Amino acid sequence: MTAYLIRRVLQSILVVFISAVASYVLLSFAPGGPLAGLRQITQSSRFKITEEDIARIRASFELDLNLPIRFSRWLVGAPKGPITIGGKEYFGDMVVGCRKPIEAEVLNSRGVLEVVVVGCKEEVLLKDIVGRRTSRGILFGDFGLSWRLLRDRPVSDLIASRIPKTLQLIGLETLLSLLIGIPLGIYSAVKQYSKFDYIFTTLAFMGQAMPSFFFGLLFILFFSIIPKGAGLPYLPAALSESIRNYTIPLIGDVIAGSAKDRLLHMILPVAVLTILNIAGWSRFIRASMLDVLRQDYVRTARAKGLSQNVVIMKHALRNALIPFVTIVVFTIPGLFGGAIITESIFSWPGMGRLYILALGDYDYPVAMALFFITAVLTVIATLLRDVVYTIVDPRIRLT
Amino acid sequence: MTVPAHMDNLKAEAVTIEERSPFQVVMMRFIKHRLAMASLIFMILIFSITIMAPYITSFKVDELNVNDYFRPFGYVDEPTGRVHYFGTDNIGRDYFSRIIYAGRISLTVALLSVLISETVGIVVGAISGFYGGWVDSILMRFVEFMLTIPTLPLLLIISSMLLRNEDLIPIPEGVLQVVGNIMLLSPKDARSAVLIVMVLAGFGWLSSAQLMRGTVLSLREQTFVEASRSLGATDVWIIFKHMIPNAMAPIIVDASLGLAGFVVAEAALAFLGFGIQDPIPTWGNMLSATQTYMFDKPWLPLVPGLPIFICSLAFNYIGDGLRDALDPRLKL
Repeated sequence: MTAYLIRRVLQSILVVFISAVASYVLLSFAPGGPLAGLRQITQSSRFKITEEDIARIRASFELDLNLPIRFSRWLVGAPKGPITIGGKEYFGDMVVGCRKPIEAEVLNSRGVLEVVVVGCKEEVLLKDIVGRRTSRGILFGDFGLSWRLLRDRPVSDLIASRIPKTLQLIGLETLLSLLIGIPLGIYSAVKQYSKFDYIFTTLAFMGQAMPSFFFGLLFILFFSIIPKGAGLPYLPAALSESIRNYTIPLIGDVIAGSAKDRLLHMILPVAVLTILNIAGWSRFIRASMLDVLRQDYVRTARAKGLSQNVVIMKHALRNALIPFVTIVVFTIPGLFGGAIITESIFSWPGMGRLYILALGDYDYPVAMALFFITAVLTVIATLLRDVVYTIVDPRIRLT
Repeated sequence: MTVPAHMDNLKAEAVTIEERSPFQVVMMRFIKHRLAMASLIFMILIFSITIMAPYITSFKVDELNVNDYFRPFGYVDEPTGRVHYFGTDNIGRDYFSRIIYAGRISLTVALLSVLISETVGIVVGAISGFYGGWVDSILMRFVEFMLTIPTLPLLLIISSMLLRNEDLIPIPEGVLQVVGNIMLLSPKDARSAVLIVMVLAGFGWLSSAQLMRGTVLSLREQTFVEASRSLGATDVWIIFKHMIPNAMAPIIVDASLGLAGFVVAEAALAFLGFGIQDPIPTWGNMLSATQTYMFDKPWLPLVPGLPIFICSLAFNYIGDGLRDALDPRLKL
């Protein structure tokens, strides 16, 4: 067990590291970023931006450093300068980047002019970056500064302000899904081939095929826009609280930012997430329960005269829940990563929406931080799933 | 032992049982699954409509009708007498034509993604399961590694990057031409569709490879493989003649469920603004566009949204029906 755990943890660290490298490299090649507008400005003559200005701006975003150095500074906050051993500095003259690249416009294979870096006028040496502002490294919880969404403010501030909103949403959704989904699945399995089972499986099947973005729009349509237009009580469909006070028929006046306001705003997104989640989970529980109900030990339990309740709740359910554990564990990354699509539809100011905003706005430090957090949590969840599985099911041996 | 009294009758009865090929058996079982059958017919209908798109629609995809914004269903375009069956959108483009062309693009993207991901999955899975050892180790570790990365966030990063940097990955002109012809797009526009297919298939093959490997692992130990080998068959022969055909059943089911998944995934990317972009119609980006106007035109999201849902549902039912039909242990 210990050997297995150690191996798995090492593997997980590798997975996190590789996915961090991959996504960092991907986003480094993406165009845009903080320098996108600069090129246009330098081409017009209204503003005089010197080469020196550009070099300074590039340096402030660390864009003058080579990719591996930049990545290492982003990941672990090193190197900060030359390595000092016993009072002597080493590698001080190593070239780590380029302050003023020589750019040229080149026709590429498809006949489009492209700006290509062809050389370097002024190089950056390792000793030059001493004293430069740097993050402590994403591994140590410092996600650097935001480029766009909250200019020059720490990414962690931005994330910290979003976490509670996502936790509220996903936490409540998970709780409700468990409370409703499990009993539904059990009941449907116990009453197999009944009318209830038939309707339930059909609906659950549809729920699984339903794309969340369309379902969300339908909810906005039927519970917000149409009733509002018809003068009926409706539910607010955007943001997590409203800006102005408003009045809903039958419910009355709602003060912006009050508990009532926030509760009303939560209903639609939570309902959408919960219903779709229940569709998957309860189907899983039903299948797993049906499987268990056919087992010999359930027949034995029945044969020795136990009541239906005891047989189902004690002998069958406990075993049916074992495989379910593997699914529930994966709500952990969702708790922090957010439900990207649902949060986007309802403009819910959580982490998922932040991710979309960051990617759309070229705010790569924010996007990278969120991706990194989700990747770490997914890996932890995978690890946890395998460990928990062996604990709840002693038949499984780790190898 | 007593001889049955009515020997002749028994004989006659025994002879009347028809001989059926495995394909016929599967077909008969599939037809019994009514919803799956209905879904299949429905999808054939949808596919034929999208194939005949230029003949059915009377408007071009990007034909603008100035001043004819948000016309209602069935609005007649006065000068030409053509009918906007589903009305027009915010810049006066015919909704009906766009939905059909969008269907052609969305469904082609899903089909191509399934085709590529299943093919890669079959080959990788078969090699991995058949050879075992370090080949299997490396391939499957890689697959497991890819599966631990959260898919949607990574999909979003990759497609946002690829779509802004379209030239980054060189795609042969011939491929763009072919795909463009299928989707009725210019090769330049087809590029983004091809990129989306690559992104989707790049993740899609992982689970099919795992599925294929599992099937091949159990097939490898079967007697008919041993027999074939003792007759001097090569590895390639065994893989292509015995492994792949015998492992097709789960792959076919996986492919049909995969179609549902890819239709939704493509639409989700487009909906979030990281898929195929606006002048090219897809169900996802049309749905996304309706969000802005749904307060005034509540029916608008239903037009591109329902096809996504119905296609996803239909592919799911077909997959369900195929699973039942192809499973020999299941009595229907």
